[in-house]
Amino acid sequence: MPENIIEAQQFEQIPFEKIRAVKGEMVISEDFPSYLVDESKISGGYAEYLFFPNTEEEIASLICKMREEELMITISAARTGIVGSAVPFGGAVLSLERMDSVIGLGYDDEAERWFLRVQPAISLNEINHIVKLRKLELHQSIPEEKNWIEKFETEKTHYYPVDPTEMTASIGGTIGANASGARSFKYGSTREWIRRIRVDIGTGDVLVIHRGKYKAKDGKFVIKTSEGDLTIKIPTYKMPKAKNAAGLYTKPDMDLIDLFIGSEGVFGAITEADIWLKEFTPQMSNVVFFKDEIDALEFVIKLRTSEKIQPEFIEFFENNALSLLRDKQKEDPKFVNMPAIAEDITTAISFDLPYSEETLSEYFIEISKMLEECNSSLNNTWSAYEDREIARFKHFRHAVPEIVNNIIAERKKQFSEIHKLGTDMSVEDIHLKEMMEFYRVSLKEAGLEYVMWGHIGDNHVHVNILPRNMDDLKLGKELYKKFADKAVQFGGSVSAEHGIGKIKHEYLQIMYGEEGVLQMREIKFSLDPNCVFNCGNIFGRGVKK
Amino acid sequence: MKILILVKQVPEADKVAVDPETGTLIREGVASILNPYCEYALDQAAKLKRDNPELHIEVTAISMGPPQATSALLRCLELGADKAYLLSDRKFAGSDVWATSTAIKEGIVGLEPEFDLILAGKQAIDGDTAQVPAETAEQLGIPQITYGVDVKINDKRVEVKRETETGYQVLSTKMPALITMSKGSNIRRVPSMQEVLDARKKPLDVVSADDLNIDESKIGLSASPTQVDKVFAPPSKSGGEIIDGTDPKAAAKKLLEYLKENSFLRV
Amino acid sequence: MMLNVDLEACIGCKMCEKVCPFAAIIVEPKTKKAKVLEGCTLCGTCVGVCPVDALSIERKAVSEEEIALYKNVFIWGEWEKKGEKKVIKNVVLELLGKGKELADKLDESLAVILPGNNVEHLIPELFHHGADKVYLCEHELLEDYSTDGFTSVIASVISSEKPSIVLYGATPNGRDLAPRIAGRLALGLTADCTGLDINDSRQLVQTRPAFGGNIMASILSPYTRPQMSTVRPNVFPKPVINVTKTGIVEEVEVNLRPMSIRTKIIEEIISQEDSINIEEANILVSAGRGVGSKENLHFIEELAEAVGGTVAGSRPLVDLGWLPHPQQVGQSGKTVAPTLYFALGISGAVQHLVGMTSSDFIVAINKDKEAPIFEVADFGIVGDMFEIIQEFVKLVEEEKTKETA
Repeated sequence: MPENIIEAQQFEQIPFEKIRAVKGEMVISEDFPSYLVDESKISGGYAEYLFFPNTEEEIASLICKMREEELMITISAARTGIVGSAVPFGGAVLSLERMDSVIGLGYDDEAERWFLRVQPAISLNEINHIVKLRKLELHQSIPEEKNWIEKFETEKTHYYPVDPTEMTASIGGTIGANASGARSFKYGSTREWIRRIRVDIGTGDVLVIHRGKYKAKDGKFVIKTSEGDLTIKIPTYKMPKAKNAAGLYTKPDMDLIDLFIGSEGVFGAITEADIWLKEFTPQMSNVVFFKDEIDALEFVIKLRTSEKIQPEFIEFFENNALSLLRDKQKEDPKFVNMPAIAEDITTAISFDLPYSEETLSEYFIEISKMLEECNSSLNNTWSAYEDREIARFKHFRHAVPEIVNNIIAERKKQFSEIHKLGTDMSVEDIHLKEMMEFYRVSLKEAGLEYVMWGHIGDNHVHVNILPRNMDDLKLGKELYKKFADKAVQFGGSVSAEHGIGKIKHEYLQIMYGEEGVLQMREIKFSLDPNCVFNCGNIFGRGVKK
Repeated sequence: MKILILVKQVPEADKVAVDPETGTLIREGVASILNPYCEYALDQAAKLKRDNPELHIEVTAISMGPPQATSALLRCLELGADKAYLLSDRKFAGSDVWATSTAIKEGIVGLEPEFDLILAGKQAIDGDTAQVPAETAEQLGIPQITYGVDVKINDKRVEVKRETETGYQVLSTKMPALITMSKGSNIRRVPSMQEVLDARKKPLDVVSADDLNIDESKIGLSASPTQVDKVFAPPSKSGGEIIDGTDPKAAAKKLLEYLKENSFLRV
Repeated sequence: MMLNVDLEACIGCKMCEKVCPFAAIIVEPKTKKAKVLEGCTLCGTCVGVCPVDALSIERKAVSEEEIALYKNVFIWGEWEKKGEKKVIKNVVLELLGKGKELADKLDESLAVILPGNNVEHLIPELFHHGADKVYLCEHELLEDYSTDGFTSVIASVISSEKPSIVLYGATPNGRDLAPRIAGRLALGLTADCTGLDINDSRQLVQTRPAFGGNIMASILSPYTRPQMSTVRPNVFPKPVINVTKTGIVEEVEVNLRPMSIRTKIIEEIISQEDSINIEEANILVSAGRGVGSKENLHFIEELAEAVGGTVAGSRPLVDLGWLPHPQQVGQSGKTVAPTLYFALGISGAVQHLVGMTSSDFIVAINKDKEAPIFEVADFGIVGDMFEIIQEFVKLVEEEKTKETA
């Protein structure tokens, strides 16, 4: 029977001096500057300590030490996030990079699934490399006497299917962010793939949270720690049905693990995780082209509601994105490494399908029908299933964001304040066409330069506004807010996958209202009363009790 | 007009390595692909077909290899070949360049003797020998032009732009002839879903040595003059000093000092 | 012909299974003995690793008397035109050095086959570099290289003179010609050798990279003669010159008719940069994708000027048309071995590395600290190459002014 009371485990103290640490703001900013930034590129980060712990015990000890010194802790692993969650503004950086191993592998009899037990800083690439090539030692079986490793050898190839595009991301970071990416269309976000976690919390204790073991009762959880009982009141707002990575998760009888997943590290540091593995199926990548965007959207709707065909993801590239690709192609064909895209094409839809010779013809004939109803045909497509070709398609999908980043970097030389305005909003299925129309009309009216692409299968398209000057930037920001309002109106999220971090908290209010944000804050301060962890994430910098 | 394409299935070469400790080949996770240079030959054939509709060009891909090499031929069919043959037989096993070109020659003579032009990749990325096409041309007794980047058909002759050490030359020869293709400025094509679908309906035949009545003494290991003695990891060169260049001025200074110290640079 | 498993000897250690490039041998779980599958190509890899010699390939035997008839080391005397002048290619001189070493080990002599038109003046240089004999094959149809003309002439010299070894430079023309000759004479030919030696059985051991340089293989031609190899330029050093050395010149009568040369040269396009020979430069300043745009190449040129070096590049730049093909370093370009090699914005794909790792000293500048180029660099800088180059050029200029003052 699941309960709502969890008992934290305590550690013996380790002498603080034993922990590898760098002290001093100057030293850190000069010799370790990369620990002060992440992919958000927000500047101004600084820290007084930089820690490289090896164990949970070391983390617990340094938490106590930091509390003594009244310093906050910013958790850091691969720093691939783009909302500044890993950027410290004072205090200590807790770099988990030394905790980057696979601990073991087991089979969950109840769930009838394989799981991998890993440390937080291992990258998704490394996880898949190890699982696919079965690079596991016999003693890594969980439990050891079960000989799971031998059994796993005879299984079909498995992998961890969460693919938030940036595969150098750490597992800990992706749990903190509830990362998703294109393939969440089929597999859901990180949340669905976590079996169990261990978290070092602000009291210096560790929580071992097994999915299914702790569920909220009467809207509450009780956490028994070395510093007494902490009572957590779960929020009462409603989560959007659409894909969402904004704010804390809630549900009347929610699982405790879900409070931590996607919490952007504000409750503590994940020190270990069990992740579910899935049988790997070969894929084939396809891109289909349309002369008219409306036809493309119609195709998306047909494809995702098809009974026969289950795409892994559906991605969208509108005309401005294709124009960027065309221009880049003329200048540097190798960069895009794809044949030229015809000039009369305005929209491309990219999707992966399970590949097998048995089903290929059947699928293609079905898709052919859909395409013909949408004024395109199988001739206006690209298709591939060899590994290296699939990699080529993946590179192609990522070329647009890369070009956009280069353009912004170039403009920054003229206006140093300029940055990209990239939205990350989702809406409910039925509002897809309306939202797309709203984007287009508003952007055209505002006369802004923009590019759109993204996870259209989840109604989650990234609008990227490319400001040419400071006026554009201002106009863009206003528009951004309008988009956020509209997305929430359409049952969506203001941040479907990137999270809130240190830069998007103002949109949180749009989604959950003032009351909702207050409830979230309340949890933060019940669970982390001294505000040790990742202050500034979700709630904005300088937030105080 | 008939064009033959000689193709090879290769492992993704840059992923194959030798375990430096055991000296054995590591091939885990290495996929088999159609040799990229063969794709340039296919592209050239497709282009000739497009540019010369009046010639009614028929493109046939031919390969020698184990049964699983049919997947490389399937890709040829996706990329514009009209039909494909795989010469596959245990008797071909152990063939080196000479024995391979003998088998391919016999295959061509037995299956498509009336060809006008043979296109091949300049080399395969696994062996990199670049020898099979030339030896095949010799055995067929036809002229060859290697390192082509562009081919034009001009009545009974072909004109080929060829890479040389100092630039290019344009060569002309009478057909039938064999041309090997270099990359040039080509980007490898991507087939459409229609082409992928159609490829599965095109003829792809697996042919044995007996089907071709090849004399066994001319093929396989026994007919191969060369033998692999051993395979080993290349000697690794250990890295030197790596410095951080965040401060370009300091880095440049260190570099200059270092070069002067080692007398590689005198200014 | 087959791969035999000695079931008595097999210990089921799975070494063969692990090394087989074709997954064609397994150790059966039940019997714990090796079993050969359909896909076996008799490549012999497993035979070498078997710790208990349980694997063997049956091969035919050829008489040793027949093999003993073949003697002496031959080299194709490739020349190129520089303007109107014909000059011997460097690789020939390098091969003369190596060839001499092989000939000495065999206690045989070293000869050059020299086909061409008006090439007699090249002979002394060949003698000075170690040749004992030159077969001079002159004919007006050999004015330019042609596959047909050169194949006929060289194949007939080989047939009549019976050398034990024939070496060719792995230049574009060498790689065009050598397989043609091997095809005609039914001989083995090993491409792109980076090492040549003689073993205890007086066989030529030919070592070459395969799989894009990721593995090395040594190859023998035990049952056929001559043994033939092509060798990449800049792999072996040139020998010490002995200007007093002479040798025998044997003029070979050449019978060629115009119709026997089936390819005609219509046009020769020499890139303007042909005066640049990256294979002979002492200092090479080489750029990769990291330069970003054609305009940025001026940074590379400035650095080259400051250090007195020659500009080269990796394949992507040539593919983009930013640099002409003759300036490409790497597997599909040239192999170079300068005293100093700057790798700027070059990540260091194995295909590039095989073309430059014999450089005496390698300096790499790259943004990505994980770039494989740093594994071979003697001195590496992780940072913005443009900023560093600018600073470096400035420093060199300063030093230069100091010295003149």
